[in-house]
Amino acid sequence: MANSNLPRRIIKETQRLLSEPAPGISASPSEDNMRYFNVMILGPTQSPYEGGVFKLELFLPEEYPMAAPKVRFLTKIYHPNIDKLGRICLDILKDKWSPALQIRTVLLSIQALLSAPNPDDPLSENIAKHWKSNEAEAVETAKEWTRLYASGA
Amino acid sequence: MDSEGAMLMHDAESLDDNFYSGDDSDDADVIMYYDFTDNDSDDSDELPSHHRFQPNYTVLTEADICQRQEENITQISTVLSISRIAASILLRHYNWSVSKVNDEWFADEERVRRVVGLLEDPIPLPDAKELTCGICFETYPSDRMSSAACGHPFCVECWQGYMNTSINDGPGCLMLRCPDPSCCAAVGQDMIDLLAVREDKEKYKRYFLRSFIEDNRKTKWCPAPGCEYAVDFIVGSGSYDVTCRCSYSFCWNCTEEAHRPVDCGTVARWILKNSAESENMNWILANSKPCPKCKRPIEKNQGCMHITCTPPCKYEFCWLCLGAWSDHGERTGGFYACNRYEAAKQEGVYDDAEKRREMAKNSLERYTHYYERWATNQLSRQKALADLHQMQAVQLEKLSDKQCQPESQLKFIIEAWLQIVECRRVLKWTYAYGYYLPEYEHAKRQFFEYLQGEAEAGLERLHQCAEKELQGYFEAEGPSKEFNEFRTKLAGLTSVTRNYFENLVRALENGLADVDSHGACSRAASSKSLGSGSIKVKGIRGKVIGCRSSNSRNIDDSGHWSCDYCTFANVKSATVCQMCQQCR
Repeated sequence: MANSNLPRRIIKETQRLLSEPAPGISASPSEDNMRYFNVMILGPTQSPYEGGVFKLELFLPEEYPMAAPKVRFLTKIYHPNIDKLGRICLDILKDKWSPALQIRTVLLSIQALLSAPNPDDPLSENIAKHWKSNEAEAVETAKEWTRLYASGA
Repeated sequence: MDSEGAMLMHDAESLDDNFYSGDDSDDADVIMYYDFTDNDSDDSDELPSHHRFQPNYTVLTEADICQRQEENITQISTVLSISRIAASILLRHYNWSVSKVNDEWFADEERVRRVVGLLEDPIPLPDAKELTCGICFETYPSDRMSSAACGHPFCVECWQGYMNTSINDGPGCLMLRCPDPSCCAAVGQDMIDLLAVREDKEKYKRYFLRSFIEDNRKTKWCPAPGCEYAVDFIVGSGSYDVTCRCSYSFCWNCTEEAHRPVDCGTVARWILKNSAESENMNWILANSKPCPKCKRPIEKNQGCMHITCTPPCKYEFCWLCLGAWSDHGERTGGFYACNRYEAAKQEGVYDDAEKRREMAKNSLERYTHYYERWATNQLSRQKALADLHQMQAVQLEKLSDKQCQPESQLKFIIEAWLQIVECRRVLKWTYAYGYYLPEYEHAKRQFFEYLQGEAEAGLERLHQCAEKELQGYFEAEGPSKEFNEFRTKLAGLTSVTRNYFENLVRALENGLADVDSHGACSRAASSKSLGSGSIKVKGIRGKVIGCRSSNSRNIDDSGHWSCDYCTFANVKSATVCQMCQQCR
């Protein structure tokens, strides 16, 4: 299997993710591909996503850690920095990536993004507009979506 | 089809009316022309062209660039008492502006250090026998580890990989920082030289050199393919036209080929238009119809109205009414007509689509008119440039032998060719200008077309003389008696043509503002004999000196006569043109 020559770094990171998971985050490698992770992030408290369980996929490309991991939301989410395909607008996944960052730091950043949406740097134009023009209503929609799509059923 | 043809012809005529004014009605005999020689009187402050082109730029070779870059680094390094590496990081950050670096540094050194990532006191690697690399998490003896000034340890392989990724990503590698996300310590060229693989070091050096030109507001690379020179331009110093040492002339502002007197915006639009799909679309729209079944556009170039679409569609239909051919035959008028179409057309069914096709066709014809002339002058210029080089390389020496003239006495030929090359370029761009000159600006259009026409005619005479007449002296057996006359003629034509083009350039550069378009004439007038009297031209340098009803366009009020050949305004008493020696 392709996993036989997995870099030591990935093995170490995986072990640590499993043995000391970050609060509210779980990440486990797929059985047939050690570079593919099934991720779950709990909606942070006091955010519109509270109570939701969000599924994500994370893939470590061949160049990792010189290149950033590829991460995408699988669960539908109403958020100005996440589009309808689940793609995430986050600087450390693009130009601010550094090889000294890790899977753990990436997932923590995504969790933080749920707590603090940034409608000034939107990926989803419509949601961002909604957020800026009527934040209370946008937050309601986000809560509604969390109930509908992320209630962990 | 008949009616369509007729409509087209009608449109072509009205087009002509506006553009070329083939109108010979009796009020078209008012004359005005320009005295291009009247330089010394009231506007002697105007300098001749070669003075205006005093270089406001410097062409730099790679060696020049390196030298300047080194000088800047030395200067900053000395003044700020910092290392050359730190100086180059600073300069790069402030786009190679020495003064900006000085200003910022002396205003707030601490802030600058923080922003750029220059630590005042370098932190050494942690003092331990073994260290863990922050990237691969492996543990190595500390002599296999390296760090920037911040002391964050990474192993040599990971540094190499980190630098390789960054350098392959592009010029951003010049702003490389420590991989630790919480740290912003700059990684300079010294570390690259120490740790990167050879190929990456070379790439980094190239980016470093390129940055000096590309990030600097005052310098740009020459855009000619394969040319490695750069141009240092004094911003705000007038004309943007620069000529590189590779002989390519370009506009420093937009880096397109030199296009004076047309502005950068017009040039950009014109170039976009030339390359744009829109013209293809117009053509398709004008000259094809979509297959009624598969919608692929079909051009009908000949034959009857019975169309069979190409496989796999193979739909058979009538070109005129686009109905199925199975409904056609003898009773609908046979293969070359369609009753159904004629009947429907009478009822106005086809009007919209037809009209759209018609309009597309007209706008395409108008564009084609200007494009053809633009492109022809482009080609003509290239040919002239080749001829000029040939002349400089071989021909001049030959001529010098044959006519027993020292080469220094033959400079007028080179000057003529240089003028031709330049004029072709200007003329070319005036067609882009003309295309965008609004139709409703009748007076401006007429004035523009008049100036353009005169300039073009002058250029044709000059080109003809420099090409054909000169040929005769090459083929001559020995020195010709007439050679001196030829010299005078060619030099005269060169100077006259230069004047025409200067006027044209000046008029276009001020937006044809000299035309007073009040009550602009709606009637068309010939480009030679301008106007029904309602166009007023205010004193541009070539002033209107005569404006009188007359059938002889050669004499004006002040008694000057203008040469038929070169249009030079001669004094009344002269019987031979002072400029080109033609008899009156």
